[in-house]
Amino acid sequence: MDALDVETFFVCKNEEEGRNLMLGLLKGWGFKDVDVVFAQYEGPGARIRGRAYIYRPADQYAWLLPADKGGQK
Amino acid sequence: MKTVLLAPLDPVHDIGLKMIARGLEQAGHKIILLQPDLSAEEIIEQILSSHVDTLLLSRTLGYGVGEVLARFVDMADAAGVRDRIKIGIGGMAIRQELAAELGFDAGFGPGTTTEEVICFVEGRQYKPDPTRSNKSKPDLTAGYNYSYLNPAIAAKLETISSFILDWVKDKWSPGVERAKLREQWDVSRWRNREGNGVLFEHYPGFCSEIPQKFYETGELHPKTRRFTKQEVEGLERYLEETKARMSVLKLQHTRKRPYVFNQYGTGCPFMDIGHILASEAWGADGVVHFDPSWGARTEGFLDGFLTHQEDGTVITPANLNRIHMGLEKSTLWQIRAHRGLNTPETVVLAGKIGADLTKINFCYGSLAAGTDPERMVVDAYHSMLYAKEYRLPFDVVTNEELAGVPAHKAFAGMLIVSDLAIRLGARPILQPLFAYSPEVMIHELMNDNYIDFNAAKIYALRSIINAPIWPGAPIGFLTQTEDRVQSAMTTALHAALAASLGVDAISIASTDEAYSGGPISVPAKIDTLRAVQESFRFLGEAHITPTDMAVTYSQQITEGIEQVLNQVCKTGDIVEALHRGLLGSREEGAYPGRAGKGTIEKR
Repeated sequence: MDALDVETFFVCKNEEEGRNLMLGLLKGWGFKDVDVVFAQYEGPGARIRGRAYIYRPADQYAWLLPADKGGQK
Repeated sequence: MKTVLLAPLDPVHDIGLKMIARGLEQAGHKIILLQPDLSAEEIIEQILSSHVDTLLLSRTLGYGVGEVLARFVDMADAAGVRDRIKIGIGGMAIRQELAAELGFDAGFGPGTTTEEVICFVEGRQYKPDPTRSNKSKPDLTAGYNYSYLNPAIAAKLETISSFILDWVKDKWSPGVERAKLREQWDVSRWRNREGNGVLFEHYPGFCSEIPQKFYETGELHPKTRRFTKQEVEGLERYLEETKARMSVLKLQHTRKRPYVFNQYGTGCPFMDIGHILASEAWGADGVVHFDPSWGARTEGFLDGFLTHQEDGTVITPANLNRIHMGLEKSTLWQIRAHRGLNTPETVVLAGKIGADLTKINFCYGSLAAGTDPERMVVDAYHSMLYAKEYRLPFDVVTNEELAGVPAHKAFAGMLIVSDLAIRLGARPILQPLFAYSPEVMIHELMNDNYIDFNAAKIYALRSIINAPIWPGAPIGFLTQTEDRVQSAMTTALHAALAASLGVDAISIASTDEAYSGGPISVPAKIDTLRAVQESFRFLGEAHITPTDMAVTYSQQITEGIEQVLNQVCKTGDIVEALHRGLLGSREEGAYPGRAGKGTIEKR
C-alpha cells in the first residue's frame, strides 16, 4: 500500500556499514525513496530495518486507479 | 571546558536535547540551551555572540528535515561559522547518512547515549560502555540445599530411589560402555593433534550401523559432510574479526535473575557459531545445543568436523570443540543428554570439552522421546554419576507434558529423577514447562489467563523442595504463532512472569518457534531477546499477581504428585511404573520407547 519494510541482520564491522548494506540492497531492487528506520549494532553485526517508500502522501496510488490509467489489473 | 550551544529546530523542545544538555553540564561544560521555534538566523546570531565551540541542533519532526537542515548549513556557511565550530545534529528524525550528506560533523539518531555526544564535544572517540561486557558465568544451583519441605513426598522419593539404585547397580548397556571408553580418552592430547589414543580400537564394537560403517570405511551419514580447509580458515578469520569487536548486553535490568537461554542447532556448526555470537551480543546468558533427532536413536557418535543438512547439529568432539572456542567467557553452555542412546557419553564429552550444564530425564526420554525405559534408566543413572564427576548441573526437563502427560505426572517423574541425582551427589535443576499444554487445553486451565497455572507449578515445586528452577523449554510453548510480533510478545510476557516468580533461569524461543519451514534465523532470535529485555525493563522489581486459582491449582498438582509417587512405590520397580503409564499413560500420549530395547546386560 505505501512502503516495503525489510528487516534483517547483516554481518558487518559497524552500524554505518550495516546501514549502507541495507540502503544498497533496497536501491539494488530499484527503489529510489529509501531509508533506514532502525539500526542496532552489536559485536557480530547489525540488526537493520530498511524502508522503501512506494507512495508518499498525495501521490497517485495505483491501487486506486483503473487499469487503463496505470492502475492495477 | 567547552561552550556548547543547543538549539531545537522544532516548534517544541526535544526531550533528548534537554537530557544531552544536562549530561554536558554534569561533565563540566558550559551550555546554552535555546528556546524552541527560533529561526536559523536567530541561532546563528547566538553563535556569533557567544563564542561557541560546538553547536548541537536537534530535529524531531521528519517532514521537510532535509530542506530545513540544508538551509541551515548554507546560512552557517554564509555567516562564516561553519568552519569555526563543530556542528552536530540529533533527534528522532536524524539519520547518520543524512547528517553526513549535508556536511554536519556528526549525526545522532534515535538511541544515542549522552556519552556519545560528550565524546563528540570533547573530540574523543566514543567507546561503548565496557560494563556491558562485564558479565560473569553464574552457578544456577548456588544457594540451594535440596532439602525437602514436604516430608510425605520426601519419604516416597527415598523409597523409589532406593529400589532404583538396587535395580540399576549391576546393569550395563552399550551406551555405558562407550561412555567408559570416552572417559579414558585424553582431550588434551586430542586438542594437541596427538590423536585419539586407543579409543577407536573398541568403540566401533559398541556402535550401531551408521557409526560402525563410518569407523570401518570412512562413510559418513548421508546428510553430513566434512568442512573444507578453506571453510575452516574462513571461520577462523570470521571469529578473529568478530571477537575483536564483541560486546554482550545484559537483559535483566535491576534483577539478577532469571538468566536467559536460547537454543542453537542449525545443523551447521559454522552457522551455529554465528547464531551464538548474535545471541550473546543481544544478551543471551546461555545457549543450548540441539542435536539431530536421529542422533538420539543411533548407538555411538561420528567423528570429525561435520556439517549436517537438516535440523540439529551433530555431536562430535570437533564440532563441540569449535563451538566451545567461539563462546564468550560468560556464556553458559548446555549440551543435552536426556533422551537417547548416547546419554552417558554425551555427559562425558560435554564435561571434557567444557560445557557448563547438561540435561537428563529418564522419564521424558522413555515416555516421549522413543527410548526403551529399561535402557533409559540405566543410562541416566550412569549419566548422573558422570554429571557429578564433571561438575555439570543438569535440568530435568518435563517435555512429556507436550505429548499430553498431565503436569503432576511429569513433575512426579522429574522429582524421582532429581531425588536419585541428589542421592548420587549430582545437582539437578527443576524444569517445569510454562506451556499451553494439551492438559491445559483439555481441562481449560488457561481459559482466563496464562499466569495462574504456570505460577501454580512454581508454587507446587517450591512447597516440595528447595531446588533451583529453570522453566522452559521454551517458555510459552504452544502460545507462539508464526506472527513475529505475537510470538515475541508472548515470550516476553512469560519471561516477565518468570522474573516475577523469581526463578533462576528461562529458556526462550525465537520468533520462529511456530515456523517449521526451515532453520531458525538470527533476526528471529534477536526479536525475542529484545522483547525479553523490554519485559524485564517493564517489570523491574515489581510483581505479577496471579489470581486465587494459582493456589488451588498448586494444591491439586502437589496432591497429584503424591498420589503418583504412591503408585510408583507400590510397584517397587521404576521400569514397570514407566511401562504401566503411572508417569504418563498411552491414553495421555506417552508411549514407552523401543530404541535400545533388549540392550541391557546384567554384570
